[in-house]
Amino acid sequence: MKQELSNWEIFRNGIFQENIIFKLAISLCPSIAVTNNIKNGLLMGIAVWFVHVMVEVTVSVFKKFIHPRIRIPIFMLIISVWVTVINLIMAAFVRDIYGEIGLYLQLIVAFASLLARSEAFAAKNTVMHSFMDAMGMGIGFMIALVIISFFRELIGAGAVWGQAIVETKPVLIFILPAGGFFTVGILMAFFNWMELRGKAKPHH
Amino acid sequence: MTAKDLIKITLTLVIIYIIGGVILTGVYAKTSPIMFMGDKKDKEAALKKMMPEAEVIEELGTWESHKKKAGYYVAKKGDEEIGYVVESYGKGYSSYIKVLTAVDKNFIVQKIEILKHGETPGLGDEILKEPFKKQFKGKTLEHIKLVKVETKEDIQAITGATISSRAVTEDAVKNGVKLLMERVGGKG
Repeated sequence: MKQELSNWEIFRNGIFQENIIFKLAISLCPSIAVTNNIKNGLLMGIAVWFVHVMVEVTVSVFKKFIHPRIRIPIFMLIISVWVTVINLIMAAFVRDIYGEIGLYLQLIVAFASLLARSEAFAAKNTVMHSFMDAMGMGIGFMIALVIISFFRELIGAGAVWGQAIVETKPVLIFILPAGGFFTVGILMAFFNWMELRGKAKPHH
Repeated sequence: MTAKDLIKITLTLVIIYIIGGVILTGVYAKTSPIMFMGDKKDKEAALKKMMPEAEVIEELGTWESHKKKAGYYVAKKGDEEIGYVVESYGKGYSSYIKVLTAVDKNFIVQKIEILKHGETPGLGDEILKEPFKKQFKGKTLEHIKLVKVETKEDIQAITGATISSRAVTEDAVKNGVKLLMERVGGKG
């Protein structure tokens, strides 16, 4: 039996130890596509957070009925049904918000993190723990997107939340897809360096 | 794995997928009429904004712009035709840009509006901003031309977004105005 983790520890795990972007390094493509300004990054983060919670809870509730040999197609069905349902409901009832985030919602179907967490966590844990895991993963992902998009918008477009700070576009490549990978790489290196430094300190 | 297992697994999968399909069908049936009404209302509102002084805007017909169906409309005030609105597409850097162009009855551009696009955020999407769009006001067909220097007569391209600017100017708007002149101008 593995050690029982508290809800709080599961929640923190998603934000720090197993942050989807900076630690697990999955779901990078769709994230990079939308993080060229903070507003997009935040909206995408919220959408993913919500879908993460719905999917992980559903998987956890029905885990007894999911035969291990066909778990992947079932996870994919759960993910796509949730994404489509949310998509349709938002398109019908909250058109203004849908206009802003509709594009990102559809992208979530292809998110590796949903499949990975369903497989690695929700299929083996209780509903409550799965809920906490999804909350942690979703919020950790959202924070990561906001950090990435903050730097990309600032350096690439010279703006913060659409408000221009300088008149020119300082380093244009940062708002293009290639710049997204640069940003993620540099930030990942920075966080790892911070972590190593934190660990190394006591020996001095 | 025995044959019995195989059948069991297959059946489970089939049942689960049918359940998924039923859920989606149900949600779609409930939401699609609302979506359809919303789309229609949005389109009417967009057309109305193109010609605020018009009392009614009626569809005259449709045409093909980049193999997509697009409409053209007449704006009326009382019985008088005061102008036309045309829907058209321009092939941009990473998407087809959907544009509405309003002209008066002498085919001088009054206003353009970008309805839909998928251009690079922060670069190509500058076409949505007023300084670019308002350049079109008062332009005749000959002056719907993109140049890269400062200009009062033609349309000035956005720095770093020449392809998107060209798609709007020389593809969408120009072809839209041309179509109106052929279909509506020829007749009257």
